Amino acid sequence: MSTQATMTERLGDRLNPILVKEVRQALRGKYFRVLFWITLLVGTLIGLGVIAEAGSEPSIETGRVFFMTIFGVLSAAVHCFVPFSAFLSTSAEWDENTYDLLIISNLRPRQIVQGKLLSALIQALLYYSTFGPFLVFAFLLNGIDLGSVAVILAGSFALCIALTLSGVAASSLASNKILRVVIMALFGLGLMAVWGMSLGLAAAITFEPQVLRSIEGQVAFVVFLTAALVLALLANAVALARFAHEEENRSTPLRVIATVIVVFATLWGTWLVAEFGAGEAMMGCQAAAVLLSFLPWLLLSTEPEELPRRTSASAPRSRVLALLQAAYIPGGGRGALLCFLLGALAVSGSLLGMRFASGSLPIALDVTVAVAAMYAYLLVFSTLAGGIGAYFVRRASARLVLRIAVVVAVPVLIIVPSLMAIFLDSNDGSDAFSHGFNPFYVVYALGQGERPTLALVGLALAVALSLVVNAPRVYSGLCEILAASRTVRTKGTDAPAA
Amino acid sequence: MTTALDVCAITKRFGALKAVDEVSFRVSRGEIMGFIGPNGAGKTTTMRICSTLELPDTGDVQVDGVSVTENPREARRRIGFMPDSYGAYANTSIDDYLDFFARAYGLRGAARTAVIERSIEFTSLGDLREKYIDSLSKGMKQRLCLAKTLLHDPAVMILDEPAAGLDPRARVELRELVKALAGMGKAILLSSHILSELAEMCTTITVIERGQVRGSGAVETVAQGVTSGQRIFVRALAGVDALQRRLLELPQVSKVHAEREGLAFDFLGDERALSELLANLAASGLGLIEFAPKAVDLEDVFLSLTEGKLQ
Repeated sequence: MSTQATMTERLGDRLNPILVKEVRQALRGKYFRVLFWITLLVGTLIGLGVIAEAGSEPSIETGRVFFMTIFGVLSAAVHCFVPFSAFLSTSAEWDENTYDLLIISNLRPRQIVQGKLLSALIQALLYYSTFGPFLVFAFLLNGIDLGSVAVILAGSFALCIALTLSGVAASSLASNKILRVVIMALFGLGLMAVWGMSLGLAAAITFEPQVLRSIEGQVAFVVFLTAALVLALLANAVALARFAHEEENRSTPLRVIATVIVVFATLWGTWLVAEFGAGEAMMGCQAAAVLLSFLPWLLLSTEPEELPRRTSASAPRSRVLALLQAAYIPGGGRGALLCFLLGALAVSGSLLGMRFASGSLPIALDVTVAVAAMYAYLLVFSTLAGGIGAYFVRRASARLVLRIAVVVAVPVLIIVPSLMAIFLDSNDGSDAFSHGFNPFYVVYALGQGERPTLALVGLALAVALSLVVNAPRVYSGLCEILAASRTVRTKGTDAPAA
Repeated sequence: MTTALDVCAITKRFGALKAVDEVSFRVSRGEIMGFIGPNGAGKTTTMRICSTLELPDTGDVQVDGVSVTENPREARRRIGFMPDSYGAYANTSIDDYLDFFARAYGLRGAARTAVIERSIEFTSLGDLREKYIDSLSKGMKQRLCLAKTLLHDPAVMILDEPAAGLDPRARVELRELVKALAGMGKAILLSSHILSELAEMCTTITVIERGQVRGSGAVETVAQGVTSGQRIFVRALAGVDALQRRLLELPQVSKVHAEREGLAFDFLGDERALSELLANLAASGLGLIEFAPKAVDLEDVFLSLTEGKLQ
């Protein structure tokens, strides 16, 4: 065998097994092939249509429209089809009864998730390379400069990674087919929304290229990349937890990422306020953090209460250390504790950051009240549901139903009172969405300097109720970790000297 | 013989349901243990715990000396699990399927190729290796799953309902494969509803019902445990109901239950008492057709130990 062949074989051996399998399957399957050719055909036809419409003397506007058209199709492929195919691929592990076979093989959860991600990214790269010449053509039409193309493609690729990992994570959440269909529908809707958002951002850069030359535009781009990175890390942690053995500590990485999100948002907000002097930057960063934190907080506060056996065996020997680590050790009560601590950290961090960055206490207080309201809603939706559910929910399937119910409850609580207001109110319904169940309205109103008193009182009561409901299980959680620490100490004392 | 699978007082609850309740048994190398129980008895849950797919609430399982709760990753290297619901990937050939799992078990280069060849040869899938799994018959898919289970040369093989849905020829072939594996020194835990199959394959059995072990050990030992005295089969023209009424009136008769067109029962008395029983039945006007001692088989054991009892 030649050296080259040996090298190739060795390289092949090193490849992630899931990647090898998925690529083989994708290339033989219909899903990728059909969608790829349809996407290419649609992109070509629309592009030709735009060129034909422009006639013999295309303007800069023609180049921009051409770029946006092609990017629209490419974005549909890499932000919808590819993440959705990652969702379906993970889903197929359940449907084809191969999930158990994967779990009991020597593959580590990390390898499974990486394999799914890499195979999806190979599909994405095929799309990028196919549509690359079209995008260059848009540049030749003077529609867009190369810097803008690079920024848009970099942002698009980062988003593709985050969405693909989200697809793997979302699909791994439920083994029950019906629940998975519900998750699939929600994920599909989310992808459509993200597609719209990505088109909006690309259009902003394409039609107003000077945006990228301003410091605000560059910072916004970095914030966007950070959000994509955090979303990717979060989805990765969720997927890893789902693919890990029941005995492993599947919760601590998620707790660390939940903390990183809050810390990142507060630091970013502080820096942006200090740099540009706009309090809205802190609110924007914390709003993004709240949106990203919703799922992890919900997962953490609805975890089973008991310590897994192996985690219990590795509890810290020191009582003080055990208490200090408690919020990062698996268990629903300890998850609720972490959520309350992170909420407090975000609010106090925002106050300090704003005070330091803006130098004005009234402005700092105004922003902090809005941030506090955001986290109060987050706490109510995650820990109140988790706290009440802890008294009734025992089985894993019931826990999943509870989690999905909370996710569905958020838009329902926003929309139903609004619809009632529209139908029952004698006014024109223009302020139908201005109610206390709508976090967006309340936070927006606070940002505008208004004080929706009734909503704030209701929110404070709900947070207080959440504290009351969660207090017993937080206490039990702390007692449990202290007991585990005591057991470890006792075992250590009893063990014969080596 | 060396114990390869040691199930030690495992308990598993699903909400209020105690699916597995203090289950203990052992399987040695070269032993084929039949795991028998009605639907919902806890067989699959026990097997999933042994395979590290479920975690026991209490108790532990040692696979070749490795605890499934303390070191599941190491335990997995020693277990070959064939689930009841067969897992196949779409658009995948037999070769690709085995190649994927061999890679997943960390096999590389020539070692991987050799292991795949060996598994294919053992399961006689050589002529079909380029075929897509979707197009295989149920029997061939079971063979493929067995080939996959063998790739990493596990010490313990856990086969959940491997014969379900197979035609008679495929069952015979599977039986021979399982026996060959036991001959290679592997400990095999195998569940099935087809008791005649298990009787021909297994050296030991464990009967489980409602999560609890009802009997465990060599087939003959368990059979002796479930019969008191000797088992007799009897058939009469008067029919089963009349015969049963008469039998239940007689002394030293127990465990009367329907079998084929007659009844089987345990008789506690000696030869003389048996002769008197026969005379009694003959004189009772029931029209005795058949009266013969009966060897206790796996079906009898199963029916006696589980809820199939008439008495």
